[in-house]
Amino acid sequence: MPVVQVPTAYRGPTRGEAEILVSGSTVLACLEAVEEKYPGFLPQVIDADGAVQRFVKLFLNGEQLGDGALDAEVDEHDRVEVLAAIAGG
Amino acid sequence: MAGPEGDRLIRVDMTNQTVSEEPYPDEWKLLGGRALSAKILLAECDPTCDPLGPDNVLVMAPGVVSGTMAPTSGRISIGGKSPLTGGIKEANAGGNPGQDLMKLGIRVVVVTGKPSDPEKRYGLELTTDGMKVVAADDYKGMWNYACCEKLAENYSKTASFITIGPAGELQLTGASVACTDQQKERRPARHAARGGLGAVMGSKGLKYVAVDPGRARVRRPADMKGFSAKCKTYTKDYLAGPQMFKTGTSSVVPVANMLHTFPYKNRTEGQSPDADTLDGKNINASFEERGGEMHNCMTGCIVQCSNIVHDAEGNYKTSALEFETLTLLGANCAVASWEDVADLDRLCDEVGLDTIETGAAIAILMDAGEMEWGDAEAMKKLVREIAEGTELGVAVGNGAVSVGVRTGHKRVPVVRGQAVPAWDPRPLKATGISYAIGPMGADHTAGLIVNPGMPADQWAQASQEVQLVNAVCDSSGFCQFLQPTLDDIREYYGLLYGEEVSRQQIADQGWECLQDEWEFNRRAGFTEADDDIPACLREEGVGPDHSIVFDVPLDVIQQVKTRFELRDELFAAKASG
Repeated sequence: MPVVQVPTAYRGPTRGEAEILVSGSTVLACLEAVEEKYPGFLPQVIDADGAVQRFVKLFLNGEQLGDGALDAEVDEHDRVEVLAAIAGG
Repeated sequence: MAGPEGDRLIRVDMTNQTVSEEPYPDEWKLLGGRALSAKILLAECDPTCDPLGPDNVLVMAPGVVSGTMAPTSGRISIGGKSPLTGGIKEANAGGNPGQDLMKLGIRVVVVTGKPSDPEKRYGLELTTDGMKVVAADDYKGMWNYACCEKLAENYSKTASFITIGPAGELQLTGASVACTDQQKERRPARHAARGGLGAVMGSKGLKYVAVDPGRARVRRPADMKGFSAKCKTYTKDYLAGPQMFKTGTSSVVPVANMLHTFPYKNRTEGQSPDADTLDGKNINASFEERGGEMHNCMTGCIVQCSNIVHDAEGNYKTSALEFETLTLLGANCAVASWEDVADLDRLCDEVGLDTIETGAAIAILMDAGEMEWGDAEAMKKLVREIAEGTELGVAVGNGAVSVGVRTGHKRVPVVRGQAVPAWDPRPLKATGISYAIGPMGADHTAGLIVNPGMPADQWAQASQEVQLVNAVCDSSGFCQFLQPTLDDIREYYGLLYGEEVSRQQIADQGWECLQDEWEFNRRAGFTEADDDIPACLREEGVGPDHSIVFDVPLDVIQQVKTRFELRDELFAAKASG
């Protein structure tokens, strides 16, 4: 099963879980699977229009995804990583 | 000694306005910045002294790798006994003075004493030609930008400056120490802001420090080839990565708001209705029409998280407008416009004030009913009043507790006298533990953990570990936003001095720094009873139904003072502030 890696800032809904095993054949399907398990996760990643939040970056097996990130195909052993911009200042 | 030779420790006696130098102790070669400041303060400063008296010691210490070719490595630590908290304080800043001091081989400047005439002002010159204290009465009362313009006229193009504004001269406990950035204008836009160290500098009559490395080159590591290769690989990897800070800390506003850590109206709410108008996206969007840009505050920075903000006419207004400032002077005071916050940021930089402390103080004034929520114009007038030293201005310039005392208002969110930063301890419990027990008081740069879902049994260890990593980072000269790991830092140190620096050594350095700082505070009179978050944040919640309070038991907070076993993960953990 693909694994979704959750950034520390977004682990409130996942109750601290950092890596979630899911079923899904695209990045979006994987993220939606996390939402099904842990309601409240998805709005942190995707905005009301269905686009990736601008302060989030998505990676597939370590490669940053650009346009069309949500539609990228995911295989059984793939890793979807969510990164969120967090800094002090 | 391997690595940089001829390093010096500079002593400045402000009672007699004399400067002397000593060889830098070899046993301190791996100590810089915060850890060095703590070591000197514990040895040479009476923790019970009057922080604004002659016995306080003001330390200016660049990091270990500052002045080398290492990327984003020019942070400088300013240290002393804090007049705000009464405990030890280290605040660090970017800009170029850290790099320039190290190019001169100056590892630390230790300022003691106090002039007999409090009306006199002095400058300290540190150049390739020598070192001396000079009269600076004609700089008296100058705001930071005008002061640095005048300094730029009077010193070489290669000089950088450390200055205080009127708040420091008035010895207000919210006063900052400004450092000039690397722009050709040399603007005093980078501040060692927290803890009132500007007041300590002011108490010593020191208006400015001019550091001129002339044509001095970057410091030469013992293993030049290895050090160069490390710098190249590190930079390449960083630039190939996500560069999450490329749009500046102001871009964090929507995330913080989502996580209930964007305080509104003196922290009575964790979210602001004005998050969209305060969002840093508006600042970045203004660049195209008005000019302004993201830039590096110090020479050799690859992070470039600092913004330069222009006004509607395209003229420079301020730099850098950060997340913390947008929160404390913006949302927390119910100010809705980022442009108003930009004005306030410039004013605070001019007067020489910590924007966090000032914003928190004004929010308490508003919460007490003495100023209208969101009245940005009244706030600007008030910050100008601070420079004039009016009764109200002095109260606000002395910070949150001072305003609490003046108004009798009970909701005063501080830890050990220092205002709580934007990152809120209620949703972020482990960060709250860092505030409660960290030697610096409420300081996000000492131990930020943005993980609202962290299980309770991990809080204490996570807080200790991030405090340790950040202590090492703040001693190295690297900026926390470069996010170096302990393994990175020890590798740089090893190549700099041509000797192996072990994991145990680097971790011990961080722990020893914390121990030194805790010991200073213990001798200053702090006890376990001081290691807590204020009642208002334990009793008043944020989030749904205001249900999220700071509810960490006191015994869990105290666990941080007992060292946890070293874990491999610690050495891959990134500095986080």
